[in-house]
Amino acid sequence: MAMTAGSTPRDFFQASAAGAADHELRRKLENASARHLAHFAEVRGEFTPYEDERTAARAIKQEAIGRLDELLIDLTKRLEAHGCKVFFAANAAEAREHIVKLAQTSGAKRIVKGKSMTTEEIGLNPALEAAGMEVLETDLGEYIVQLRREPPSHIITPAIHLSKEDIGNLFREKFGIPYTPEPDELTAEARERLRESFLHADLGITGVNFAIAETGTLVVVENEGNGRMCSTLPDVFVAVMGIEKVIPKLADLPHFLEILGRTATGQKLTTYTNFIQGPRAADDLDGPRDMHVVILDNGRSAMLADPVLREALMCIRCGACLNVCPVYRHIGGHAYRSPYPGPIGSIISPNLVGSAAAHLPFASTLCGACKDVCPVKIDIPRILLHLRWKETSGPTPPEWPAAARRARAGARRFARMARHPRTMRILSRIAAAILKPVAHDGWIRRMPPPFGNWTKLRDFPRPRPRGRRAVKRQDAEG
Amino acid sequence: MAELHKLVATLRTALEAGTSEPARAQEPPAEVPLAHDAYRAELVTRFARELEAVGGRFLGILTLAETIARLVALAKNARMVAIGKGVAIDTGAIAAAIDRAGVPIMRTAPTTDPEARGAFRDRLARADMAVAEADYAIASTGTLAVLTMPSRPSSLTLLAPASVILVQIGRIVPDLAAALEAFGTDTLAAHRMTLITGPSRTADIEKRIVLGVHGPKSLDVIVVWPHDD
Ligand code: SF4
Repeated sequence: MAMTAGSTPRDFFQASAAGAADHELRRKLENASARHLAHFAEVRGEFTPYEDERTAARAIKQEAIGRLDELLIDLTKRLEAHGCKVFFAANAAEAREHIVKLAQTSGAKRIVKGKSMTTEEIGLNPALEAAGMEVLETDLGEYIVQLRREPPSHIITPAIHLSKEDIGNLFREKFGIPYTPEPDELTAEARERLRESFLHADLGITGVNFAIAETGTLVVVENEGNGRMCSTLPDVFVAVMGIEKVIPKLADLPHFLEILGRTATGQKLTTYTNFIQGPRAADDLDGPRDMHVVILDNGRSAMLADPVLREALMCIRCGACLNVCPVYRHIGGHAYRSPYPGPIGSIISPNLVGSAAAHLPFASTLCGACKDVCPVKIDIPRILLHLRWKETSGPTPPEWPAAARRARAGARRFARMARHPRTMRILSRIAAAILKPVAHDGWIRRMPPPFGNWTKLRDFPRPRPRGRRAVKRQDAEG
Repeated sequence: MAELHKLVATLRTALEAGTSEPARAQEPPAEVPLAHDAYRAELVTRFARELEAVGGRFLGILTLAETIARLVALAKNARMVAIGKGVAIDTGAIAAAIDRAGVPIMRTAPTTDPEARGAFRDRLARADMAVAEADYAIASTGTLAVLTMPSRPSSLTLLAPASVILVQIGRIVPDLAAALEAFGTDTLAAHRMTLITGPSRTADIEKRIVLGVHGPKSLDVIVVWPHDD
């Protein structure tokens, strides 16, 4: 169940090849992404100030990240004044140990969790389970993948890689109920089962979407009501957030909520937006007796120290870049072996889950769809290039698989060659001549080894090098 | 708070190292001005449309007497109805009417006794309908904004399968920014608050929308007209 901290490049090659070859998986991903994009287009279409909101949200995040030190001090002071206990964790291990200790000292046995990628990042569930506690994921998608002892494959839709039939079979197997593929019947079954757990849990854990420094408020956004249950019903509540979640003012929040709902799930506003400032008052009828906030660095301050990478801290985890990414849609979330898959995952995983994910920035075509869709306009391709540059400017690491080492040597040769236009032209003419007989209707469907791997999963247009005159003409036209 | 100081020191170094790009390029767009009276009808219409779009039901603009009659009708087949304290509306009259109709009711009374609190929750978990009043309604998204207070617990709008929320007509604001401004920073620093936009829902199975996953399966809203004239 634990997210292994990254993986080797070889694992990634294997997992992504398996994902790409799994036609069923691709159909599911295409299906879900298309439905998602349709919802999104609908709500975005009728909301004219969308562009303004993006600009405003980006500006606020930029300011917030530039003042992270003061904002975190303000936030902490206010949360403590409201009765919260705040803990700063420098890394995943510190956060894990702290939360396990909290659970132990409060005598918690049964723990309910709302969806939180940050807790996946720190590998919290296995640590709690190892300490003898029962941990239940309560977001429907997370609940489903937990039943399969699998990590989520998408940051918004954890079970996106499963069809309703898969889930019907899973429920039949696990609960011994008659098979049904109907989403409403499956949902009703999960509701029944989880309701009891909510009422009897001793400790609730959720993530945080935004933390408002001005008021000392944590904002948790969700659709199902499970987040509310986790933060309201158990006697102890733990909120886990990365340091980058803080925003300066209450009035900043609407800008984010306007865009988050639209890009994440195609809603104008998510069903529940919970404003949580502290534990219950003495005579409140519900709410936790104790509230803890864990604020996690775990590589984020290192990202802050890099002027290009810093921009990635603006991410509001809406998942939109995953939905439009041709690579993600091809290989699925599990291939990334990180709680954060897709374009943004390729950027943050190497920093948050470790150097084992250093190959991920290469898993992109740099098509730019992610940048266009990103609600806070993060220039993902630029950051990916920056990371590639950082990763490759040295000698080739020996642990790279042979194919990757060959590709790199080839790319370096190509780069040298590309500096000589005349040689390039001659070579491309030769290549075109060789490939002409292989092509049908202008497309190459199969290539001889060692290039055969390229054509296994896609077709190439036949190269048609422009002659010297064509190039000149174009230059003249300007 | 040794850890905080350590982190802040790291952050300061990091901030200096990754020299910041120009801060906030532009102020956020100005807020929509608050509604004046003639604008109310339009706000209610917009609210009703958005509420229905997210799967809620708009039961109309009713006077208090009509509201009570409607709630009694809704409660007819309930085994138990929970009724919270109002914001501007006297929910005592509602409770009395439902009680007279012979449907078991439960009210919310603040308590510091852990046992009473536990008992309250167990009863509430068995109620199949709960009536609460929202502090504000937001027209542009069909949202209800509800504060948590000692006699207005959050679970009132969470546990019962049928959630009925009342809101006074004067408390409908155009958008979220207006609602947050109306609450003010002090109120939100002192109480929990929940924005509710439709019944609980999920799209986790093949992105198909299903209503009523963990929270209420239905959400009915009555906009209350303050005078019985
Ligand atoms: S990078 Fe942008 S699009 Fe991707 S999850 Fe973050 S906010 Fe969303």
